[in-house]
Amino acid sequence: MTKQNPILRAEDLSKRYEDGVLALDHLNLDVRPGEVYCLLGANGAGKTTTINLFLNFIPPTTGTCYIQGIDVTKDPLEAKKYVSFVSENVMLYGNFTARQNLEFFAKLGGKTNLIKEQYYQVMRRVSLQEKAFEQRVKTFSKGMRQKLGISIAIIKDAPAVLLDEPTAGLDPKAAEEFLEILGELKNEGKAILMSTHDIFRAKEIGDRVGIMKEGRLVMERTREELQYEDLVKIYIDYMKSEPLTA
Amino acid sequence: MPRRKPVPLWTIVRKEIIANLLSYKFFIVILLTTLLLFTSFFVLYKDYKGRLADYELVRAKPGEPIAVLPPNPLSIFAKGLDEAMTRSFEVSRIGIAVFAGQKSGNIIFAYFPTPDFVYIVKVVLSLVALLFGFDQISREKESGVLRLMLSNSVSRAKILAGKWLGNFLSLSVPFLLVTLLGFALINLDPGVSFPASSIGRFFLLVLTALIYIALFLSLGIFVSALTRRAASSLVILLLIWTVSVFVVPNLGTLVSRQMVDVPSVKSLSEKQDQVWTREVLELIMESRAKNGRGTGDIAKNHFDAINRELNQMEEDYRNKFDRLVRLSKNINRLSPAASFVYASTELAGTGIGEESRLKENVLRYKDSVLPNLERGEKQAAAFAYRYRSVGQVLAQGGLFDLTWLVFFNILFFALGYVAFVRYDVR
Ligand SMILES: Nc1ncnc2c1ncn2[C@@H]1O[C@H](COP(=O)(O)OP(=O)(O)OP(=O)(O)O)[C@@H](O)[C@H]1O
Ligand SMILES: [Mg+2]
Repeated sequence: MTKQNPILRAEDLSKRYEDGVLALDHLNLDVRPGEVYCLLGANGAGKTTTINLFLNFIPPTTGTCYIQGIDVTKDPLEAKKYVSFVSENVMLYGNFTARQNLEFFAKLGGKTNLIKEQYYQVMRRVSLQEKAFEQRVKTFSKGMRQKLGISIAIIKDAPAVLLDEPTAGLDPKAAEEFLEILGELKNEGKAILMSTHDIFRAKEIGDRVGIMKEGRLVMERTREELQYEDLVKIYIDYMKSEPLTA
Repeated sequence: MPRRKPVPLWTIVRKEIIANLLSYKFFIVILLTTLLLFTSFFVLYKDYKGRLADYELVRAKPGEPIAVLPPNPLSIFAKGLDEAMTRSFEVSRIGIAVFAGQKSGNIIFAYFPTPDFVYIVKVVLSLVALLFGFDQISREKESGVLRLMLSNSVSRAKILAGKWLGNFLSLSVPFLLVTLLGFALINLDPGVSFPASSIGRFFLLVLTALIYIALFLSLGIFVSALTRRAASSLVILLLIWTVSVFVVPNLGTLVSRQMVDVPSVKSLSEKQDQVWTREVLELIMESRAKNGRGTGDIAKNHFDAINRELNQMEEDYRNKFDRLVRLSKNINRLSPAASFVYASTELAGTGIGEESRLKENVLRYKDSVLPNLERGEKQAAAFAYRYRSVGQVLAQGGLFDLTWLVFFNILFFALGYVAFVRYDVR
C-alpha cells in the first residue's frame, strides 16, 4: 500500500475532564485513505473521548486533531465538511420517516439537490427494507436505525468516517451486513476510525487494530502482523496486566 | 473533493416546522388556542353589540350636558378600561354624577369573565410559546440528533436561529390566521363600525402580541440550553412564567400603594360631603342673619366655594393617583406581561393613558358648560372626544413598551446563544 497522507490524525492528544479524570493520555494516531482503524479497549478506556475530540464536541487539553489536514479546533466548520459520523445509538427524529431523516441530514452534510430515488438507493445499499423507507423512525428496531445511521454517513460522502461502537446491540446478521458496507466504504478510499468491543470483527475488518487502556494506546497491530498473532490473547493479556498509573 | 456550500438556514427552519406539524402536541395546542380565540372573539363581539345598544339608550340628547362615549369596537380584542370609559358623566351645578355606563348584561361574566385577546395572549400564548421552547435543546441532546447535526459543518448559531425561526413560524402563522380571520368576520357586520384608524391599530396590536410571544419562545429556548433535562427546564420556566404573568404585575401595584399615599375613593367622597354640609350650614345661618335678603349672592358665594374646594380636592386626588399609576406601571414593567398589556390596550384606545385623558376632557367639559348651567340655560354644548392618534400613543409610552419587549427578545436570544455555545452536546 502506498503511503498517502493520513486523513484522520491525532497528535499528542490528551484530555483531562473538569473533574480531574485523565481520559486520554498523549494519543498519537492516524488513519489513511482506504484504511479501517479499529480501536479496542475496556469501558472507560477513552475511545468515545477520542471521537468526541475529533468532532470538536470537547476541547483537547493538549495536542491537536486533524481532519484532511485541517486543525479541528481552529476551523471546526471546515474540518467537519470532511467527516461523517455514526454514533452508538442513533435515535434520529422519531416522527420523521427514514427518508425524511436521511434528507435532512444529507442537506446538513451539504447534499442539497438530491431526488427521492437517490435517498432510496442509499437505503437499499444498507439493505433497509423497502417498506421502511417511508415509515416513521420511531417504529424502527435498533438495527434498522443503525442502518439508517450509516446511510446518513454514506450519503454525505466524506473522506473520513468516525464510528462509535456501531455494531453494539446488532444481531449477528445485521452486524455482518454492517461490516460489509464498511468494507465497501473502505474500498472507495474512505479513512475509517471505528471504536468497538468486538475483537473478532475488529480482526476481520481492521487494517490496523489499536488497544487502548486508561487513555493510552498500549498496542497497535497491522492486519499482516495479526495473521501470526492471536488478537484475543493479546487483548486479554493487556487487560489483565497491572494498571498503568499508580 | 466536491465543494460544499454552507448549510442554508432554511434547512433547519423547515425541519423544525415539519417536526411540529408531525407532532400531536402541536395539533392539540393549536386547536385549543384557536378554540379559545374564537370563543373570545364571539362572546366579546356579542358583548360589544349589547353595550352599543345600551349606548343608544343613554347617549346624550341634543343640549344635555352629558359626556358619554360609545363602546370602542377594538375593546372586542383589548377590553382594557373600556367599561369605565363608557360610563356616562352628567354635569350639573353640584358636580359630575357618574353612572355605570354600558354594562354587559351577562351576569355570569362576573364569575367567568371571558378573556379577551390581550389576556389570552398574555397568559395562554406565552405558556404555549414556552411549551414550544422548553425542550428544544435537551430533547435533541437526549436523542443524539444534536451530536449528529453538529458533526456537520453547521454552526451552533445557525442551529439556534433555525430552531427559533422554525418554532416561531409554527406558532405565529396559525395564530395570525385565526386572529385575522376573527377580525375579518367581525368586520363583516356593518353594525360594528371600526373607525378608519382601527385597521392600523389592530395590526400594531397583533404585532405587539407577536413580539410578546416571540419573547417567551426565546426564554424557553434559553432555559432549555441551560438545563440537561427537559423536566427541570419546564419547572424553571413555569416558575418564571407565573412570576412574570401573575406575581410581578400585582406586586407593582402593591408596592407603589405603600409608597404613594392615595386616599380611598370613599374617604374622598366623605370629605366632599363634609364640605357640602359645612357650606350649606353656613349658608343657612347667614341667610337667617340677613333675614332672607340678598340670599342669591350668598348662595352663589357658597356654591363657588364648594366648587373651588371640591375641585382642589379632586385635583389633589388625581395628582396623587397619577403618581401612583405611573409608579406601579414602571414597577410592573419589570414583567414583559405588563408592558404587553400597556402597549396593546393603549393601541386599542382602552388603556390607562387614554382613560385619564378622557377624564381630563370630561373635567374640561364640565368647566366649559358650568357657566351656562349657572345662568340657568337649558342648552349645553355637546361633548366630543377624539382618541389619541397612533402616533401620540406611541410617543406617550407605547413605543417604550414595544422597545422594551424587543429588548427582552434580544436579551433572551443572546443569553440562549451563549448558553448553547457552552452546552455539552454529549
Ligand atoms: N464528561 C465527563 N466528565 C468526566 N469524566 C468523563 C466524562 N466523560 C468520560 N469521562 C471519563 O473518561 C474516561 C474515558 O471515557 P470514554 O467514554 O472515552 O470511554 P470509552 O472507551 O468510550 O468507554 P466505553 O467502552 O464504555 O464506551 C472514563 O474514565 C470516563 O469516566
Ligand atoms: Mg464509549
